[in-house]
Amino acid sequence: MKGNTGRIADINLSTGNVSTLQLPEETYRRYIGGSGLAARIFWDRADFSADPLSPEAILILMNGPLTGVKLSGVSRMNATARSPLTGGIAESSCGGYFPPALRLAGFDGLILSGRAARPSVLLIENESVSVRDAGNLWGMGILECTRELHKTYGKKSTSLIIGPAGENGVPFACILNEAHHAFGRCGMGAVMGSKNLKALVVQSGGGTLSLADPDRIKSLTRKLNPRIKDYLISQVLHDYGTSGNLEGHMYDGDVPMRNWTSNYDEEMAGALTGSTLSETYLKKTGTCAYCAVACKRIVQVEDGPFAVEEGPGPEYETVVAFGCLQGSSDLAAVCKAARICNDLGMDTISAGATIAWAMEACEKGHLTKEQTGGIELKWGDMDTVVHKILPMMAARSGALGSLLSLGSAAAARTVGADSIAYTAQSKGLEAPMHDPRGGHGHALAYAVSPRGACHVQSAMHFMETGACNYPEIKFEFDLEALTHEKKAETMVLAAAIGSIENSACLCQFADRSLTLPEIVELINAAAGYGYDVPEMMEAGLRAFSLKRCINYRFGFRAADDDLSPRIKEPARDGDAAGIEIQFDRMKKLFYEQMGFDSEKGVSSREKLTALGLTREAEMIWPQT
Amino acid sequence: MSQYYKDAEDLYRIYGYFLDRVLKDEKIGTKMSKAGIIIKFMYTDPDAEITIDLKNPPAKPGYFGSFYLGPCDLKEDVWSKQPADHSHRFWHGLENPIAGITKGIIKQGGKVTAMLKLLPVIKPAFQLFPVALKEMGLEHLIVTKK
Repeated sequence: MKGNTGRIADINLSTGNVSTLQLPEETYRRYIGGSGLAARIFWDRADFSADPLSPEAILILMNGPLTGVKLSGVSRMNATARSPLTGGIAESSCGGYFPPALRLAGFDGLILSGRAARPSVLLIENESVSVRDAGNLWGMGILECTRELHKTYGKKSTSLIIGPAGENGVPFACILNEAHHAFGRCGMGAVMGSKNLKALVVQSGGGTLSLADPDRIKSLTRKLNPRIKDYLISQVLHDYGTSGNLEGHMYDGDVPMRNWTSNYDEEMAGALTGSTLSETYLKKTGTCAYCAVACKRIVQVEDGPFAVEEGPGPEYETVVAFGCLQGSSDLAAVCKAARICNDLGMDTISAGATIAWAMEACEKGHLTKEQTGGIELKWGDMDTVVHKILPMMAARSGALGSLLSLGSAAAARTVGADSIAYTAQSKGLEAPMHDPRGGHGHALAYAVSPRGACHVQSAMHFMETGACNYPEIKFEFDLEALTHEKKAETMVLAAAIGSIENSACLCQFADRSLTLPEIVELINAAAGYGYDVPEMMEAGLRAFSLKRCINYRFGFRAADDDLSPRIKEPARDGDAAGIEIQFDRMKKLFYEQMGFDSEKGVSSREKLTALGLTREAEMIWPQT
Repeated sequence: MSQYYKDAEDLYRIYGYFLDRVLKDEKIGTKMSKAGIIIKFMYTDPDAEITIDLKNPPAKPGYFGSFYLGPCDLKEDVWSKQPADHSHRFWHGLENPIAGITKGIIKQGGKVTAMLKLLPVIKPAFQLFPVALKEMGLEHLIVTKK
């Protein structure tokens, strides 16, 4: 096998047994790798009746066919499991340094099952995997644990680590690499914690890549690396980070403020935008393996209540979730909140959104002082958020900590009083910081995304903002953000492209300038799949359809492809004010174009069979 | 053949009037001046060139920046090249600049991030452009959304 190693480590933490799964090359080819391949394995291996945090649950980590190639933005990795937050398929993507290290250690991915008898570390080196005791690391924050593992396994080692939130089963706990790069969404940290697994360490990734056409890869990287670096989006990301265009997003109605009740505050946007971060707390830029874009921020807040030492800084999502969404313009507080979330191992989107919901619930009197244990939650009170609420959430301590550690949807169901109406989520996953009312395609993308509200499972976010042009698949038209027009047909393409990007483990920011033929060429040169554009698009659609089938087995149906009421209300200010999202219309058109059944929410038997999903078709559409 | 401009002189007349208003505008001009850069806009069909100086002290009192119609000696920090008709629609708020760059309609170089930061700032000017056309008696050049 080329590109891929053809080896997936299969680890049962209950027994300590480690074996190697070797799938046929054709399976790799049909599912690309990353999230597509992980979904294939998940369908074949998962116990669909298992609680997400039980020993029977599985957690899959999977590289893409390009992981390790020295090209900007191609060395990410996918994690797949059942989400403790949503109960459906969980997917998350992470860059950093672990993915190429794992490949060079001889594995495409890992399947983790069972539960270790005691806190453990998984050590991976030179095609071998062993389980080590992690007793002294359990309870440790991610920053300290990262340092300890470097001391133990050497500076060149790299790890995936969970924090106290993951150990305590917080359903939106994350997994971090080098305390900076996150499998952020869907609660992967809790799944890992439920297996008594504190960390995975690659000590030595001393192998070499075996590529299908090394010369072609060399010439492609020589051609594409400078272009990726010079691309406008890359330059903005490099200079100002992912929050570089926060002000522009705000003018477009894309930035949610005060728990999605506003989209317009020039002063707040100016105070929090990427250039302000660069002028105030930025010390230097950071990057993922082999990436010249360097969008990561290394920040330091020297003094004051939110002082932080030089280290990982906030991304756009964190800036908005702990700034605009909570009614705060305090960038130092954002830096501190980001650092605390990273250390405790919590997804900043879900944590920030849940706190913003609670602020509104307190304001409305739906969340009483008895329920908060006497803590008053007010808009913009970042001292309380940073120093009290976040540690309580990770520890699941106190009335308020326990409540908010559930995530916004479950917390709202506990509180009642129709407070679910002002959560912002789909399928229980808190929406990212891009308001569908500022780009109506997002509404459809969030609702039909298998993992719940998400802007990176499909390519809609970039297609709607004009950052994509795909003449090979007839996507050459401009989209009007504030209408439903052409969104359903765009979503059909966006779903497949998103699946390709997440299966090939591409960075959706760094690789925005790659054309579809270039992605085909790269995959073929690395892994020798022999794709053309239609075949790669079909593989993307196959992966997307399979994930929908997985959700079907978890009990999700068409009615679950919806958004909470708050994000379907017309915006109250800014350019999008008063404009209603034609959500039902878009969804109906999308369902028609995808051939989805209007009740089951999955493709017809014929369509699934045509995609090669025969067993799935037989299970979902049994012939009588 | 341009849909909106007879020749470069016609373009300079319209943009001269418009930029005069923009760079005097308290709200827009103040924010633009903070960019501290020199931008060169190059147009095709008709071929023309306009330089906006937001770096040096304004040449005229009451203005927040200066502009030069036609080739000038100022060294730009950032340049942008596009068809004049595309720019005309852009100033009506009808063209997505990111899409224009993605499709290769707009070419640019230099400190492009600094120019991108100007985009939200100049958004209010989209309302001024049709007003300027109307004041010039050029209502027929006002573009409306289809």
